[in-house]
Amino acid sequence: MADFNIRTDAVDVEQIMRQIRARIQEKRGVDYTEEQIQELAGVKLERFLDPKGVRSDLVQQFKQARDRKSDPFQPQLYSIDANDLYGSGRGVVRIVRKVLNPILKLFLNANRLVQVLHQQTEINALYEQQFHLLREKSQQRDEIDVLYYELVHNLVLELTRVGIEHRNVKMRLESLSSRMDFDERRARALEGVVQYRPDTGPARDATAPQPQARPASQPALPQQVPAQDTHAQPGSVPDEQAAESSTTRRRRRRRRGRRGGRGRMPGDTATPETAEASSPENSATPPHGDPTASAALEANAGEADFDADSGEDEGPDPSAQ
Amino acid sequence: MKLAIVVQRYGADINGGAELHARYVAEHLSRHANVEVLTTCARDYVTWRDEYPSGVEQVNGVAVRRFSVDHERDVKTFARLSEHVFGQEHSYLDELKWLDAEGPKSTPLLSHARSARASYDYVLFFSYRYYHAYHGVRAVPSRAILVPTAERDEAIGLAISPRIFRGARALMYNSPEERRLIEAVSNNHHVPGVVVGVGSEIPERPQGERFRQKYAITGRFALYVGRIDQNKGCNELFSFFLNGLQALPRGLRLVLIGKEIVPIPDHPRILHLGFLDDQDKFDALAAADLLLMPSYYESLSMVALEAWAMGKPVLANGRCEVLRGQCIRSKAGLYYETQAEFIETLRAIAESRGLNGALGANGRCFFQQHYSWPVIEHKYLDMLAQLKESDRVDGAAHRPNAARNAAIEPEPGFFGRRRRTFRPAADVLAELPSGPVLN
Repeated sequence: MADFNIRTDAVDVEQIMRQIRARIQEKRGVDYTEEQIQELAGVKLERFLDPKGVRSDLVQQFKQARDRKSDPFQPQLYSIDANDLYGSGRGVVRIVRKVLNPILKLFLNANRLVQVLHQQTEINALYEQQFHLLREKSQQRDEIDVLYYELVHNLVLELTRVGIEHRNVKMRLESLSSRMDFDERRARALEGVVQYRPDTGPARDATAPQPQARPASQPALPQQVPAQDTHAQPGSVPDEQAAESSTTRRRRRRRRGRRGGRGRMPGDTATPETAEASSPENSATPPHGDPTASAALEANAGEADFDADSGEDEGPDPSAQ
Repeated sequence: MKLAIVVQRYGADINGGAELHARYVAEHLSRHANVEVLTTCARDYVTWRDEYPSGVEQVNGVAVRRFSVDHERDVKTFARLSEHVFGQEHSYLDELKWLDAEGPKSTPLLSHARSARASYDYVLFFSYRYYHAYHGVRAVPSRAILVPTAERDEAIGLAISPRIFRGARALMYNSPEERRLIEAVSNNHHVPGVVVGVGSEIPERPQGERFRQKYAITGRFALYVGRIDQNKGCNELFSFFLNGLQALPRGLRLVLIGKEIVPIPDHPRILHLGFLDDQDKFDALAAADLLLMPSYYESLSMVALEAWAMGKPVLANGRCEVLRGQCIRSKAGLYYETQAEFIETLRAIAESRGLNGALGANGRCFFQQHYSWPVIEHKYLDMLAQLKESDRVDGAAHRPNAARNAAIEPEPGFFGRRRRTFRPAADVLAELPSGPVLN
């Protein structure tokens, strides 16, 4: 993360918070809360159920169908036999009917009537059984409908999450892509400024001993390095001057060679803490005196005023898990 | 001038916010006036059980007169009554029962305040929501100065609360947000009031390195000081911290100081040191990169003020309007409401030395301007002088206390107390203005 270079009297906390929120939005898209995702998913669910607007009340009907509860069919079962026809709660009546039964048989066939009614009873029982089966199936269907609704709901919820995640990843990809472009342009710019001279070749560079740790007091800005060459006194020994010039150039090339990997973003502001890191050994920032590199940096300036992703550049924190 | 300070608990070993606030004020005002503290024998804020002996003792040079409590708190009854008055339509009598159940009820304390009121010029009552404050202000209205220490909780929506906000002689607020809340609920604009807050005893030379050596802590860390409780937002803090570990600055640890109420996640980057004394606490603040304040409800965060006094930035929970307002006004802290904001704000403060330094410098300046003890004492003494002058004018007009006593609204009568006409306190609270006060 780059520095907020702020004077104490100029701190505007609300402005900083707006900046941070804008950065979050830029990095991750809108930061939805769980409630917002639910609400969003609810809206999407309606669209999903009614994609073409063919039936605008489909959602309501679907919900009503889930809520509608029909009363279970309960047929009144009865069975008839001879006792029902001739029986009675009163003993006297029952005896009279039994006595008069032969006379009744002269007028109609009561046995046949009992038989038909008995068959009807059996049919009723069969229907009742089938109604029972249908009711069970209906209940199962209702339960499946609930599951189905939940499934669709959860699918849409996940779809919403995935959509948001997709957008966030897309934005991150764009960010990484722009960074990569920046790195490529910087690499090209750095390659362009490397100039081989007759007295310094790859072989000499390869055999040249690596410098030891440079003292902290040594100038940090590379633009000061050529100044050492130009400020050489006329009266000094030419061999020493040439050797010193050659050593300086070699040192500068080695520095450039090491500045290939990670580095600060262009918008990073130097701070007392980062001053040490901005030394050539530690920093990947191109030299301020290098016009090509500066141009390359300026071309990419404004990508970010502070690098909110520097932690990601360094990879995940090993202690994070 | 003789002052009495009435507070629910008092002691050198009591570190509750309002109680510590009262002790600091008592000790500092004792340099300018004869101060006596009237309090209970309770030490535990849950049970109010008598633990200190009753009678008079000296605490840090201040006379403390303790009275026994009538009964301990019945937690179940209190919870049931709280649910009733906060969530349902209720009567005035229900609220009085709630106040009684909350405690600490000390009839001897109130009797003393009533009988000895002539011996005190003014009586400062701390924490409006307790039994002693409501009945105490009613007992000595002409001398009552209320330090409400009000938070945005349901108690302020009760019908009994506005009566004492309107009935006290003066109010000493902790923050502009608290003042706005109280004025909105009670319409007490006629009562003199001033936003004061409280100072803190900052040691001359806190040594962060001593803390690091003592507790073997290396590297950067964010500090939390206070009770490690769900009500203080600690669960959310743990969740945000652990969920955002990969994005947080490398090596940044969370160091917790305070009594553990909720379980603390077992993680190498979370370190709990328990309860520390003041020296260690200030050394820890000196060593920390920033202070975390995850609490949802605060009337004034003393530890945030202490962090600012030591030039440390604060990262606060933005849902606490007081903390948010303080961060904005002081220009000395950031705030968060979501996981992403927590990560980004924490990174901004921890990684940007420029921002960290600027916020810290602003915090130190803010503390010196508003919360250093000379400023606090000056505000108290100004208010006392203003009241004294008002009393002198009233005395000259031969109307010493009659007008003040008349200003206290009488309680409803027998039937009025029992009539269930009061709205749920939560509904009242929901209608009160919220958000930070920025001007």
